[in-house]
Amino acid sequence: MASKSGKEKLIDEEQEVLQAVVLADSWNRRFRPLTTKKPRCLLPICNAPLLDWTFESLALAGVQEVFVVCRSYSELIIQAINSSKWSKPNSGMKISPILTAKETYSAGDAMRDIYTRGLVTSEDFILVHGDLVSNVRIDEVVRVHKERRRKNKDAIMTVVVKEAGVGHRTRSRGDSPIFVVDSDTSECLHYEPAFAYPKKKLAHIPREVLNEHKQVEVRYDLIDCGIDVCSSEVPSLFQDNFDYLDIRRDFVHGVLTSDLLMKNIHIYVEKDGYAARVQDTKSYESVRFTFLSRWTFPLVPTTTTQAANATSTPPARNTSPNRPPPLGTISRSAQISRHTLIGASTSIGDNSRIVASVIGANCVIGSGVVIEDSYVFEGTTVESGCTVRRSIVGSGVVVREGSEVKEGVFGGDGVVVGPGARLREFERLSVPWTRGEGEGSDEDEDSDVEDMETSQGEVDKSTLGADSNAIVWLDKPPEDDDLESPENFLNRRYMRLGASLNVTTMTMPRTPSPSPPKRTTPDSDYDSHTDASVSGRSDLGASLSSGLMADKEFRSEVRQSLERAFAEDHSVDNAAVELKTLRMASNVPLSRVREGVVSAIVEKIPVVEEAAKQRVGRSRRTIGRWGELINRIGGVDAVETVTLLQRMKENYRKTWIVGAQMIHQLDQQSSSEEESEEDDDGDDDKPAGAVSRSAEASDGDDEDDEDD
Amino acid sequence: MDIDTVQPAFQKKEFLAVLLAGFGNELLPLTSDNGDEPSPKALLPVANKPLLEYTLSWLEQSGIKDVLLIAPTIHESALHHHINSDTTASNLSIDLQTYDETTSHPSAPPSFSDTLPPALRRTLSLSPYRLESTSHGAIVSTCWYPAYAPEKGILVDEWGQIPTSPALVWDPKTDSLLHVDTPDELDRNAEEYGLKMDMLSRYPRTRLSSSLQDSHVYVCHRKVLQLLAQKPRFESFRQDFIPWLCKIQYQPSKRRKYAEFISSIPNQTTYLSQSLALTHSTTPSAAAQSVATLVPLEESSTPTTTSPNSSLPPPTFKVTITIHKSEDGLALRINNLYALLEMNRVFLSAHAQSAQRVGGKATPAPQVQGGALVDPKAQISADTMLGGSTQVGERTVCKKSVIGRHCIIGRNVKIVGSILLDHCVVEDGAKLDGCILGKNTKVGSRSELARVVSCGGYEVGGGGTSLFWFIYVRRQ
Repeated sequence: MASKSGKEKLIDEEQEVLQAVVLADSWNRRFRPLTTKKPRCLLPICNAPLLDWTFESLALAGVQEVFVVCRSYSELIIQAINSSKWSKPNSGMKISPILTAKETYSAGDAMRDIYTRGLVTSEDFILVHGDLVSNVRIDEVVRVHKERRRKNKDAIMTVVVKEAGVGHRTRSRGDSPIFVVDSDTSECLHYEPAFAYPKKKLAHIPREVLNEHKQVEVRYDLIDCGIDVCSSEVPSLFQDNFDYLDIRRDFVHGVLTSDLLMKNIHIYVEKDGYAARVQDTKSYESVRFTFLSRWTFPLVPTTTTQAANATSTPPARNTSPNRPPPLGTISRSAQISRHTLIGASTSIGDNSRIVASVIGANCVIGSGVVIEDSYVFEGTTVESGCTVRRSIVGSGVVVREGSEVKEGVFGGDGVVVGPGARLREFERLSVPWTRGEGEGSDEDEDSDVEDMETSQGEVDKSTLGADSNAIVWLDKPPEDDDLESPENFLNRRYMRLGASLNVTTMTMPRTPSPSPPKRTTPDSDYDSHTDASVSGRSDLGASLSSGLMADKEFRSEVRQSLERAFAEDHSVDNAAVELKTLRMASNVPLSRVREGVVSAIVEKIPVVEEAAKQRVGRSRRTIGRWGELINRIGGVDAVETVTLLQRMKENYRKTWIVGAQMIHQLDQQSSSEEESEEDDDGDDDKPAGAVSRSAEASDGDDEDDEDD
Repeated sequence: MDIDTVQPAFQKKEFLAVLLAGFGNELLPLTSDNGDEPSPKALLPVANKPLLEYTLSWLEQSGIKDVLLIAPTIHESALHHHINSDTTASNLSIDLQTYDETTSHPSAPPSFSDTLPPALRRTLSLSPYRLESTSHGAIVSTCWYPAYAPEKGILVDEWGQIPTSPALVWDPKTDSLLHVDTPDELDRNAEEYGLKMDMLSRYPRTRLSSSLQDSHVYVCHRKVLQLLAQKPRFESFRQDFIPWLCKIQYQPSKRRKYAEFISSIPNQTTYLSQSLALTHSTTPSAAAQSVATLVPLEESSTPTTTSPNSSLPPPTFKVTITIHKSEDGLALRINNLYALLEMNRVFLSAHAQSAQRVGGKATPAPQVQGGALVDPKAQISADTMLGGSTQVGERTVCKKSVIGRHCIIGRNVKIVGSILLDHCVVEDGAKLDGCILGKNTKVGSRSELARVVSCGGYEVGGGGTSLFWFIYVRRQ
């Protein structure tokens, strides 16, 4: 086992026990209401609790002693630790849960608690959060850290970061920091947090960083992995500075800006490994995806004990009829695509379709169910005819017949919805709070749920279905919203599952998204799958179940890719590249791609019952911006485009309205580059051709200061 | 570079070099008027060769044929004389234009504003360093060199303030210059650099440094002139225009506003010929030739593409940066007295080294130009340069100095680390240490001068006058 050699090496070299501190509490509520009954670190990722993955990561690094600092639901965490394989006598890693007081309101408080208890006995220790998933060789980081410490006693902390593109999917848009680094020494000179909201316009880098360093690097392409190798001084620094709350925004920033401390913090840029924190539901999705693609090897579903005996990826399509009863039965006619993980004893009914989803153990999926890009925790029942898209469904949930669960919905544990429920996007449901059940949890959580309950009167529950027992979590900004923190209301929206598609429809400034988010592959050359990451959930090497399936899947992929491009305002080139890759991966003819693009553009043109003049303007803007894409996807064929349009006219009424203009404008665009014919109406001041090429990043960033 | 390999077709009208020759206020008193006669900075010699010559020869090596030289009106006759005299070796066709300035620092827009925008008014200087090869595809290419760190032990204050270099942000991957810190921004926020998030999103991995100085060499596309025309309030190319131009690269609102400049379709044929021309003009041998290629000059050259068809757009909108590495030779702008002294010193030591290499003798000969009369008993070290028709008296010692033409050095004179411009007279027994003497300076006998800069025509009285440190000798 790989971790063993690392362990031995460390023992030989240091004769010192490598300790790790896991902060099991997250001190934020991004996963609510899924976390009303259990801590975030016990949420399943690929059917194994998150905490298990964290331990696995630490074991890989040769850690021998782990302290798990838990606050909420500590009894559940202790239980989980005791039942995990690490508590067995010869596991090689000693895990001790540390119960901190309820008054521990931040990571800083936890660090102070660690200090007062004197937990850390080794000179350096690893500090991670309970939501870490990583195969980074932390022992290597520790070695680098120790070496640096020998020369410079003030190097108190090494922060592990990972290179990625700005729009990488694991990179949280809601909380992505800027690092200013001396590239020669890896010393971090400045740390600046950046949230999606309130939108940051300027990064403020202190002028004094250049006093001592000739040349520094400003990096906005790093993912903070949440792995810190700290010297034993770090807890005491927290003790001395009682106002340090967050490890990054307060501690790192404080140490770097302090004139008195004179301590240094370094970064370690991890090249090969994978590390990510499941900080929000968005990264939850992304981490899940990475797992199923096996980029995190050796942390993959099949190697963790708990997951291993219960899963198969992809599951055997056609389970034999005489399978033993405890295991679930999967109907012959059920379609299960790649990137799907199905837990043990789960049964799936006839004609159901499971696409890129994770289904927990002991679930019952009825017939004719469609589950796409979703997570269904254990023991849940989804009855026949339901549709679940891009949602997280808690454990023990019952979704009754014919319900529809749309993007971004979180159903808390034990919720019942339906029959015939139509859940709105981003709806959050939970069961009413019952006293006495959650004795271990703190008052905060109680009062929160109670608040929700009292406000139920305002909520229209008609969409939930007759049998529903759920209460709806209202999505409204709190009165005392703290814009200084990433937990502010609007910023949190950027961190939700499904946010990439819907965030732009909300009334708020958009974040710049200059590069296609799915293009960068941090795990390059880790295995041969790298280029498949082009689209968030494009399929890898496994065989395709049926031609029809592939076609459908491909179409939905194209639609998603374009939606992303529209919403995030990619450049035409980038969108084209993405589509091309998609085409290669799915091996479909070009005409299919063109069809998808044309229909998406047509749909993009809003149908307005206004004067024809405005309609012309609108459609022209859309075509001006995206029309070029039709030509870029490969091969200019105006005839085919027009034919497609015509065919579509029969399908859509709407197309009727815009089709004529579209043909006209497309013609104009492809035939004359110099825009000689000025149109009669003047509502748009730029020629369409110019717009399409220049508006590459036309974010709503109009208030930029102009020099004139 | 081998000029023979450049096909004449490419030399035609591909580039126009615009040279700006200013007053050289930073080099006062050397550039103050000598009587009624002005002393243009462009004609100030480095190693007995006017600064202008370095620039011109560098341009010529780059295959550029046409030069537009812009100078203050009062310098016109002097420059005109120089260009048309035999002293210049260049074959360039030089068009000398002047602008009227009553004040020494120009503020009124020059009369030829249609040719050149008013923004190019600052006195700029150039380190003749080859045009970068990546310049095709960019609207403006800039060239920066590592800020010269003065030797230890020399108090820079003596020579006046060395200009500080602005903080830059650039993307090494694409060679894009992204942000130039300006004095305005310093006023706005003296504690921090404000970097646009738009920039960081577009270029997530950038470098920030303030150890580079602008060479004031810009390779511009013709469109730059149109852009400049839209910004009449810009006073300085470097401090106003370039920082503003950088922002167009990533600020969405600016990109929209100037879409017409950004979005034109590349014309294949021009693109090709431009890049070819540039490739030729940038053959590395140009830089490898000698230190002389890398000498700083005083003028600014703005080689501007002037393709006959002005509607030809740049392939992309990009401001690029080229960083001149210090290993490739010293680059220095002569915009202060210390730099002038330093550059002379570099020439002298380069000469001494090459003399040693060639001659192989233990004591290489000093560089003495024709017609110099040196007394056999005078000691002239190898790292000294004597101009033509200069006389040196017996038992005089010269070390690490540049002595101009037609100078008369008396007996028992000791000159160390100094620069004497033409027609200086140093009487017997005088001692000069680290001095820069302007034209026609007369130093009386047994004077002792250290770190003195004199303006042209100054006379130092004889006998024991000793001036120390940075004493600015004013005109009598």
